[in-house]
Amino acid sequence: MKPDELTRIALGNLWRTKLRTFLTTLGVIIGIGALVSMVSFGIGMQKNVTAAFYENDLFTSMLVSPQQIDVNKAISGDMEGMVNALYEPPPPLVDSTLSCFQTFSGVVISFPEIRFPVKIRFAGNETRINIRAMPASMGQYKPFNDLLAGSFFKSDSQNTIILSQNILKDLNVKLKNRHIHHLTLEDSLKSTVLIEADSMIGDSLDVITSVVDVTKMTGFPGFSIKGHRRMLFKEIINPFQIGGIQKAGSGFEAPSMISGAIIPIQTAEMLPRVGFNNIWDVLGGKHDHEGYGSAIVRVKHIDHVKAVQDSIESMGYSVFSIMDQLSEMKKGFLIFDMGLGAIGTIALIVAALGIINTMVMSILERTREIGIMKAIGGSEGEIRTIFFVEAGMIGLIGGIFGLLLGWLVTKIANAVANMIFLKEMDFSVNFFHIPFWLILSAIAFSIGISLLAGIYPAARAAAVNPVEALRHD
Amino acid sequence: MKHLLKIQNCYRIYFKGTIQIQAVRNLSFSMRSGELVSIIGRSGSGKSTLLNLIGGLDTPNQGHIWIQDKDLTRMNRTELARHRRYMVGMIFQSFNLIPSRTALENVSLALAFGGKGRSEREQTAIRLLDSVGLKDRMNHSPGELSGGECQRVAIARALANRPLLLLADEPTGNLDSKTAEDILDLLRKLNRKGVSILMVTHDQLGAERISHRRLQLMDGTIIKEEQLRSLHETG
Repeated sequence: MKPDELTRIALGNLWRTKLRTFLTTLGVIIGIGALVSMVSFGIGMQKNVTAAFYENDLFTSMLVSPQQIDVNKAISGDMEGMVNALYEPPPPLVDSTLSCFQTFSGVVISFPEIRFPVKIRFAGNETRINIRAMPASMGQYKPFNDLLAGSFFKSDSQNTIILSQNILKDLNVKLKNRHIHHLTLEDSLKSTVLIEADSMIGDSLDVITSVVDVTKMTGFPGFSIKGHRRMLFKEIINPFQIGGIQKAGSGFEAPSMISGAIIPIQTAEMLPRVGFNNIWDVLGGKHDHEGYGSAIVRVKHIDHVKAVQDSIESMGYSVFSIMDQLSEMKKGFLIFDMGLGAIGTIALIVAALGIINTMVMSILERTREIGIMKAIGGSEGEIRTIFFVEAGMIGLIGGIFGLLLGWLVTKIANAVANMIFLKEMDFSVNFFHIPFWLILSAIAFSIGISLLAGIYPAARAAAVNPVEALRHD
Repeated sequence: MKHLLKIQNCYRIYFKGTIQIQAVRNLSFSMRSGELVSIIGRSGSGKSTLLNLIGGLDTPNQGHIWIQDKDLTRMNRTELARHRRYMVGMIFQSFNLIPSRTALENVSLALAFGGKGRSEREQTAIRLLDSVGLKDRMNHSPGELSGGECQRVAIARALANRPLLLLADEPTGNLDSKTAEDILDLLRKLNRKGVSILMVTHDQLGAERISHRRLQLMDGTIIKEEQLRSLHETG
């Protein structure tokens, strides 16, 4: 029998029992819909996280430190390995080393990582933050080349500060956007002010650092401060101008990407403060006079990371790259996707049981018809194929409409999620992503499961005894 | 002349629990091409079982059935399906048409199993229905046709793949006497055109009227064989 006739017979048989076919197919539609929406959520999350990393050029940045701490060991919980490495004398990380890094092929910039706590005061409000220092040349790279307002500083020594939106929130400043036109009652009670981002550029802001107050120290015998409430520190107010405001993140970035504030590197070095630059300076305190605690090395392209990392490590430094974590992240997401997919598959298995039930019922009803087909020359293979095609049709139709249902569910869920979680943001996030391979896989999976479900009924139909079937009422 | 059909020492035994039923017992006979042979006998004499064996719907426990030198008892299931498709055409007392399909579609289905393309199927089915006088009823479903018309559709379907032998199992059993006569006339007409027919019937007079030979079956074996007319004579 030619395939067109087989298909026509199968479709005719399905059409004859419309309601039953519809209900069976509905089961497949729901199963595929659940599968697609769940897997697309996993893919969407992975895409958002990876995209956020790419958007911020995190894959092209490396953290270099002279300490022999294997950050990967620390992350993986091998604390012994991490601590043992501390006893080995590390090579110092000095300006000449950073210059050396820049000679490596693919390296575009390297600079010491300077990060220290300060207080920020703006329009009478104060907040404590970790301020970061960067060279002005970082202004040409993501995410600093595309600010919400203003621009990255042009000089390494100007008193300009780049703020993140998180800080503005802490400073009770709300930026106007297409969703926020006025303050809520809660905002008013907190004395929050509503400002256009552009209007803040050039405004003055105080960066308050702490220094040791020598005069206070001499007032206490043995320099002890035990039992006394007066602090040994005094605050220095450093006037800055707001140069730019960073865009808000999509919510999938590491907090360090979108929080804090940035000032020029030379300005940071000149600021009077209690002096350590970061946590590595504390861990390796005896070396702090010999060089920087850590440095950032940025490469042109993700492909350069491995070679540059190897070169730096061969010099005796520790290098941490997010690239190292990428494969782990991918594994994690794969497990996440598989978990979601498994839930969807359970729904599809239930639908497959529905197909088996429907088709077995159909065989009982069509026993005589099967007998007639055999009597007029239908082979077991053809009878089997007719039932297979019927199962496959249920799978195909269920797959296509299930895909549409899944797409619809993701659209609605995405709209609701954006409405709830990002109601005041000037951007939206796609929590779900349906790639082309998922479309094809979902339909193929639907047909595959349906055909599997059709094996038993088809075999049973093919095995019908024609003599008995022709006697069947 | 070579035999079209030859049956030799055939047995078909059914088991119902410990009870053994010999539906066909040591049965032997042969049939030549162009013959119209009737098999008569009481209910349970093994007539339908014999037709099912020749039609390849059932297989004997013992013995041989040859159609044009091909032994059915040595055929596998796929070969038996081809046998049913091309070598024999079957007509049943209860017509056995698929109720959800029109007359045209019922005939087309047999042609589809024969591997014919869509347009060829349709043209052939219309021609066959025309030959049994049902061209104007071809789009009617069996439920909309009379018993006689249904049997004509069944005959058209049985002839679809130009079989060597037409097997008719009580073709007039469900019909009134006038319609039964018409169907027998149609079978005789087909036989005159060269179609070999083996018919199982209760209608002794009808069998006598159109058959070349009449076999009487009892308890699964032939007890009487009558030559009613020669092969060159027509009833």
